[in-house]
Parts: sequence; C-alpha cells; structure tokens
Amino acid sequence: ASSSKRSIYEASTQYRHWRFSPEDLAHTRASLNTAAVSLIRDAFEADEARSSANVSFLNADEESLLVKLYLTKIPQLCSLFQFPEEVEATAMTYLKRFYLKNTVMDWHPKNVMLTALFLATKTTNHPIPVATYTSRIPKTQPSDVLDLEFLVAQSLGFDFAVWHAHRALWGSALDVQVLPDITSAEVRRVHQIALNYVHASRLTDAEFIYTPAQIALASLSMVSAPLAEIWARRTYADKADLLLAVLEPIKTMISTHGQAPDVEAVRNVDRRLKLCKNPEKVVGSRAYMKKQEEAEQRASEKRKRKAAAARKAMEEGDPFGSELAGDVGIEDDDDDD
Amino acid sequence: MSRPVPGSWLRGTVIRKGGISTGSSTRTSTPQIQSTSNTVFGGGVKDASGRVSEYSSMDDTCPVCKSDRYLNPKLRLLVSACYHKMCESCIDRLFTLGPAPCPICAKILRKLAFTPQTFEDLGVEKEVAVRRRMAKEFNKRREDFPDLHSYNDYLEEVEDIAFNLINDIDIPETEARITAYRQENAALTELNVQREEQYQKYLKEKEDAERQEREQRALDLRQIEEEEREEREKERREIIDKLETSDKDAAKLIARSRAEALRRTNARHSSSAVAHARLQRSRTAQTIVFADVPHVPLQDDWYAYEDKFVIRDDYDDPASEAVRRDRDGIMRAGGYRVEEAWERALRSAVAGLEIMPLQGLSSQDTTVSGGQDVLMTS
Repeated sequence: ASSSKRSIYEASTQYRHWRFSPEDLAHTRASLNTAAVSLIRDAFEADEARSSANVSFLNADEESLLVKLYLTKIPQLCSLFQFPEEVEATAMTYLKRFYLKNTVMDWHPKNVMLTALFLATKTTNHPIPVATYTSRIPKTQPSDVLDLEFLVAQSLGFDFAVWHAHRALWGSALDVQVLPDITSAEVRRVHQIALNYVHASRLTDAEFIYTPAQIALASLSMVSAPLAEIWARRTYADKADLLLAVLEPIKTMISTHGQAPDVEAVRNVDRRLKLCKNPEKVVGSRAYMKKQEEAEQRASEKRKRKAAAARKAMEEGDPFGSELAGDVGIEDDDDDD
Repeated sequence: MSRPVPGSWLRGTVIRKGGISTGSSTRTSTPQIQSTSNTVFGGGVKDASGRVSEYSSMDDTCPVCKSDRYLNPKLRLLVSACYHKMCESCIDRLFTLGPAPCPICAKILRKLAFTPQTFEDLGVEKEVAVRRRMAKEFNKRREDFPDLHSYNDYLEEVEDIAFNLINDIDIPETEARITAYRQENAALTELNVQREEQYQKYLKEKEDAERQEREQRALDLRQIEEEEREEREKERREIIDKLETSDKDAAKLIARSRAEALRRTNARHSSSAVAHARLQRSRTAQTIVFADVPHVPLQDDWYAYEDKFVIRDDYDDPASEAVRRDRDGIMRAGGYRVEEAWERALRSAVAGLEIMPLQGLSSQDTTVSGGQDVLMTS
C-alpha cells in the first residue's frame, strides 16, 4: 500500500460516522440514557407532580438487552419473507445504530425493528410494497411502519450503505481456494460454520469497533485457526501478527455476547418499560397533546409574524421591504425551531 | 394533365371543384392540380418522398386579376421569386414576351421563376427555400469543432445569415459572408457532403436488408404453419385408418399416435429455436463496432487493495452457481457479471483489515441527541 493513499474503506460512512472505541460506546449509551431519563422525568412531572419518584427508569444495559431481543427477531422475519442475507444484516445494523442515537423509552423497539427492516429492504434494492409487508406480520398496520421511517432514516444520518462481514467472509472463502492443498469441500464446511459465527457477531457491538474484514477473519479463525493464519500471512506478510492479535478480542466478544438474551430478564425489562415510557411520545396522552399544542402555537405565532411583516411591507409600497427603511428582510428560519 | 373540354362551360357541364368527376369524394382525396397552360412550370412540389402535395385552398383568388375557382375551376396560383402569388393565365399574359416587372413589387421576373406552392404561409415557403439553400453549403457537424463553444458560435453564425436572408436585411453584406465562408471551407463542406451521402446509402441498405429479412421470416413462418397443418391432417387420417384396419385397443392407438406427433413438434420447435438464436447472434455481430475511446482510469487517492488479491476465472462458489449455470439467461440483469460480484467480495475481505480499532474515550464530547426531538413529517 502506497503511503499517500488511504484505504477505500475510509471513504465509507461506516468508517467515518459509525466507528467507536468500546469506551466511547459505553459512554455514549450512558449519557444518552441519563439525558433521556431526565427529560422523561420532567415530562412526568409536568404531567402530574411527584409522579416520577415511583417510576424506575431503565439503565443503559437494560436498554441494550431489549434491543438485543428485537435483534434476534429480525432473522426470523427475514426467513418468513425469504429476504436475502444482506437485508437481514442491514436491518440489524440499522436497529443497532438507531439505538445509539435514541432511547428505548422514547421509541419502543417493536415498531422500530419493523421500520428498520422495511427501510433495509428498500436501501438494498429488494423492495416490497408496505401493504404486502404488513399484511404478513400480525397486528401491524402500514402506518406503524411508515410513521417511523423518516425518524429512523434521520437517526441513521441517512448513511444507508453498510459494509457487511458476511461479504468479507465470502471473499475470504473465494480467496482461500487459491491456497494449495485445500479441498473445496473443506472450504465449504469452514465457510458454513464461520457464517454462523458472523450471525452471532451481529448481535454484538463488533461492527462498531472492528472492520467487517476483521470480523470475518475472526469468524474464520474460530473455525480453523491455522487456515486463517496461513491466509493472513499470505495476504499481509508484514502486518500478519498485528492482524491476528486484533482477532482475539473479537473472538471473545462473539463467544460471550453473541447469544440471544435471556427471555425472562427481557420480559422484566419490558414490563418496566411500560411504566417508564415517555408520555410525550404516546399518542393520545395528555403530554402528547400538550406537545402538539405547543408546536402548533409556535407555528401559528411564526405565521402571524410573517403575515404582519408582509403586510407592513406591502403598505409601505415595496413588497420586498426596502433596505433603507431598515427591515433587513424577514427571518426565514424554516422549521428548525 | 388533360386539357379542358372545349366549350364545356357553355354546355354547363363544367365541374366546380377541381377536375375530378363528382363520383369520387373531393373531401378525402386532395383535389388534383391540373395546369391550364402548358407553357408554365407544371411539375409538383420539391419532395423526395412523394408524400407532400401542392397547396391549394377553396377560396384562392389571384391578386392580379382577381379571378377565383368559381369561374375558373382549374385555377392554379404559382409563386414568384419575390414570393407573390399569381394565376397561370396572368403569368402567361405578363411574362410570355420575356422578362417583365412583377405587378405587385415591380421586381424583374422571368416566366421560369414561378414555382408551385407547398405551404399555406408564403413566409414559411421563403424560409424553407432559404434554409434548403443554406443546408447545402453549411453542413458542418459537432465533430468538426474542437469544443462545444465554437460549434455554438458556428450555429449562431448560420442562424444569423438565415435570418438576414429571410427578412431581407443587409442582403449584399450577407451574401458576401456566405461567399467568404464558402471559400474558406470548401474542402470540409465537400467532405461532409460525401459523408452524408454515404450515411444515407448505408441507412438505405440496412433498411433493405431488414425488410428482406422480415419477409423471409414471414415466409418461413407461413411454411411452418403449412407443414404443421398438413401433419395434423395426416395424423388424423392415420388414426382413422388404423382404427379401421387394426384390431388393437383404440385408446392405445390414439395415445401412441399422439405421442409421436408431440415428439415431432418438439423436434421442430427446438430446431427452429436454434436457427432463430443463431440468426439473432449473427445479426448482433454484424452491427458496426465503433472503436472505443481509450479508457482513462479513475484518478483519485483511494487505495483499493488491488495488490492484495488476485481474481481467478472460476471459483467453487455455491452462492453463484445458479447464476453461472444460466449463462444466457433470464436470471441475469443487464450488465451483471459474476466476476464483478467476486471482485467486490474479495476486496471487502481485505479492505480495512489493517485499520486498528479505536481505543479509549475520544477527546470531544460525543454529542447526544437526548435533547431536542428530531422532527417528523407527519
């Protein structure tokens, strides 16, 4: 690699926006959680004084647990619809990224998961009509999916393209066939088992810390460490030791965190979530109505201001306002309040 | 061009509209224009495809003698070089003895200078004539210019000259410009004329070839239909004969003959499909191959790991087996090549492998959007 050129992976948004250190991740989740809790506490207070003292809010770990449960539901849905693996991987990434920017207490993962999957089908060019989608999922309306779509897209920062570990693994499986004395049956076997480890890695935070190529190589190494080592040394003669060292934490992560969460624990979390949900987001509650009213009020105020300014300008004779008279133009600050 | 029946107007058998008998409807077919004089230009309009007929209207009136179709059903107005209309009898009367001034604008005209009218609007007629003349001389194409700007300048020049000629502005100066251009660009103009001719010829040949092919295919199809019909007839007759003569089970006989017929049609279909596919392939091979512009590779600073993997022609790859087996087929979208998919996979297997993970808390405060709601469009 010539020193002046940067890896093409560095051009991707996955590298630029969605790459953290483990400490960073924990810190982000913790601060997100505290900020959310304080906001919701205020909402509870505004609704009914002293009500928030009895409510036990969730902490960051419990949120992750709930998200993980819904992560495991995505492969089930994908097998129902026969979506290809790319859709499944993209949807899981979207769900994880969404909850790096939002809290479970504001948006319940059930509908976010459906929306993330729907969005993933669109961005990976395997679209299906929303009516077909919701008709095969019980107790779901198209509006449940569509209402959150823009929110999800916005939380992702509109970074829809994701680099996946399973594709890197496929590449390794192809490249490994160049090695002498390895049979194609062996390659297929190793590929299959490593793919299971990649599926497990999707339940973890691996993709936020490591690159997909590293995750793929780690999965390969978990199946057949000598094969991975031979291939790594062949590809990177000089950095091979460094690379193989990076694989160790990934392997630990996959083996410890790569399983579905305990159903009982999640059920507890869900029960508590019902009580500590942000009332402002629950359609129909008092806080929600109040928020709507506030927004409406602000909008109408702005409209009145604009109308008054326009009327004044018209009366003074110049519809665009005259700079000499001192009005530098109506402040046009659109919708970002 | 028949002469009018002598004295028919006395007998009152002259037909009002055109020279056609009242049997044929004069609404649908264009009225035949017949010349009343055999000294004036009698030809039709200038059109290679033969689909444009001369313009004439029911209320044509000669501006010079004010006669119209009422008294003179074969009235035909021709257009002078100065774009004034006149009926043939006036032209005869005024110009038979040599060049004379035009009664409307006093420009000196000869009798030959009169042509039949194609367009209702004489302005259009004049414009078309001017442009036809200019197209012969100004025939440069985009490829003859180094850049778009100069091509546009040339086009503007052409339009300018055309406008001047059409609207009679600065005629002598414009003519001077034309001669100057002609002298400068004689060679290129000639070359372009030849190119144009060649292209027309090529198009015509292609068209003829296609037409022949179509006819041939239609013929083949008809033949095949004939054969099939004959075969069916024969089969039916055979069945009847067999049923009459043999004493085997009727149902079995019928089943056997049906199976044979099916085999025959399948054989024929496959052979015709093979022939058809071969024909299509040969046709695509014959289309002209234009030399490719030399490929300029992307020039940017990104390292795409080309040296870290070597792509082979063939891999043992269960994921793409179905696509690869179906080489000509319906599974592939246009432009899809398995090699490109493999290349992407191979690249992603090594891309970013050497990027070490981040460690520790990052220096700036990771901004958290726990505050203001993201606004939704509802």
